[in-house]
Amino acid sequence: MEKRYRRLLALYPKDHRREHAEEMVGVLLAAAGDDALVRAPKPVARALRFGQHTADSADLVAGALRIRGRMALNRIRRAGWYSRTVRDQRWSDALAVVSVIAPLLLLVAALAEFHIPQAAASSVTGHPHWQLTATLGLADLPLAAGAPVVATLAFLRCRRTAGMVALVVAIGQVISGVLRSAPAFTRYASPAVAFTVLLACTAAAGLLLSPGPDRGLALLTRDGTALVGAGALILGGFSVGGTMWYGPASPPSFGFTGFGGEVAGLPGDLLIAGVLVAVAAACLRAPVSRRVLALLAIPVIPYAVLWQEKLAGDLFGSPSGGASTIIPSSFPMLYVLPLILAGVIVAATRLARRRATGRARRVGATTTSAGPRGAVSA
Amino acid sequence: MCRSSAYTRSVSKQSMQEPTFLILTALAAGAQHGYGIMTDVARISDGRVRLRAGTLYAALDRLNADGLVTSDREEIVDGRLRRYYRITDEGIGELAAEVGRLRANAAVAASRLGLAGGTA
Repeated sequence: MEKRYRRLLALYPKDHRREHAEEMVGVLLAAAGDDALVRAPKPVARALRFGQHTADSADLVAGALRIRGRMALNRIRRAGWYSRTVRDQRWSDALAVVSVIAPLLLLVAALAEFHIPQAAASSVTGHPHWQLTATLGLADLPLAAGAPVVATLAFLRCRRTAGMVALVVAIGQVISGVLRSAPAFTRYASPAVAFTVLLACTAAAGLLLSPGPDRGLALLTRDGTALVGAGALILGGFSVGGTMWYGPASPPSFGFTGFGGEVAGLPGDLLIAGVLVAVAAACLRAPVSRRVLALLAIPVIPYAVLWQEKLAGDLFGSPSGGASTIIPSSFPMLYVLPLILAGVIVAATRLARRRATGRARRVGATTTSAGPRGAVSA
Repeated sequence: MCRSSAYTRSVSKQSMQEPTFLILTALAAGAQHGYGIMTDVARISDGRVRLRAGTLYAALDRLNADGLVTSDREEIVDGRLRRYYRITDEGIGELAAEVGRLRANAAVAASRLGLAGGTA
């Protein structure tokens, strides 16, 4: 019996075992030799002992889980990862700017996904073709409900809650991908889905790891705000449709889904590319905006795939057959490439932190060595 | 929704769980070893609460970390280690506060039920 108890005690953390294992074995054996058990008739005592041993074993396992759970919780609390922001000032500022831009883009993407700009445009122009997506299914819920909530919470400066909701949106989009596609995961090969998943993840990183939208708005200049606004409008306008702005009102037959559903026409494609290139060029001028660009490049990778599919559609006709796409979208391109970029960014923040620590140490050493000399000369 | 303050933390402080209350009550009489606490708790609760080793040592570990109990002394009995635990001043304070809370709640309940000794 002692051996069995000792085996179960192996489930406990090492420190706890060292401190209490011998005592616990003593207590368990003392309880097993209870007077009531000793006095009972043999078969009854055996049954009672079996019951007690089973209950004690279950209790030991539950106790080990409780202690390990508590230790894990304490570690998380001590580390304070949920409240820690990136230490490097430039990356922290870049994430703060992203915490403004990414929720906004997510909202725009959701509006476009559910054809809301089209419906609004339709009500203004009286164009019969553009209709609000008729019914929203359960699988639409993460983006349809989550994106406005993230944007509202970010606007209300509830950055951590907004960040957590953005994470939920990303996870929800992943789950909805499984629910929607008949062979599981095929939906993830859609650049539109990859864009919303990665954009929600980027928004979550911006909101959770930076001082938040307050700092981001303080950093955004008037030109920067104008660029962001123009970028968001153009991205949203992406799916408003070229037939509305640029061409005849013929129903599109390209077979795209999501906000890749309607091709805006070649002028629209060029406009989008122009705005993206202008934003990128403007971002290259300052160190913080270069970092913003690097962070936003993560969701922009699937967006670029989506864009080139549209461009192919405009140039060569229907891409639904798959023959006329310039670069066919694939799972690695949509997810692995952004993941590699995210990895490079994380490595860059670590490198920046290490350099800053090294600089601080050198400055400290200089100050220390300068101190006594100063005193001597005085 | 996003604000967390000392106020919300203090008002959300939960009352003591029964096993914790009974362990502190057992130790309020004096230092005891693990098996002693188990039997005393069973006696105090009239056999209703039977602590097992896993529960007892998880609770003692937590109470020790919270500074409510501490290890008093060790002795070897029949070749086995026996460690005695005692309640700390902080533990006495927590237990007294819990007794006050329970007494006040019991008094209100008794008065509403029309039982003798109830107030308010």
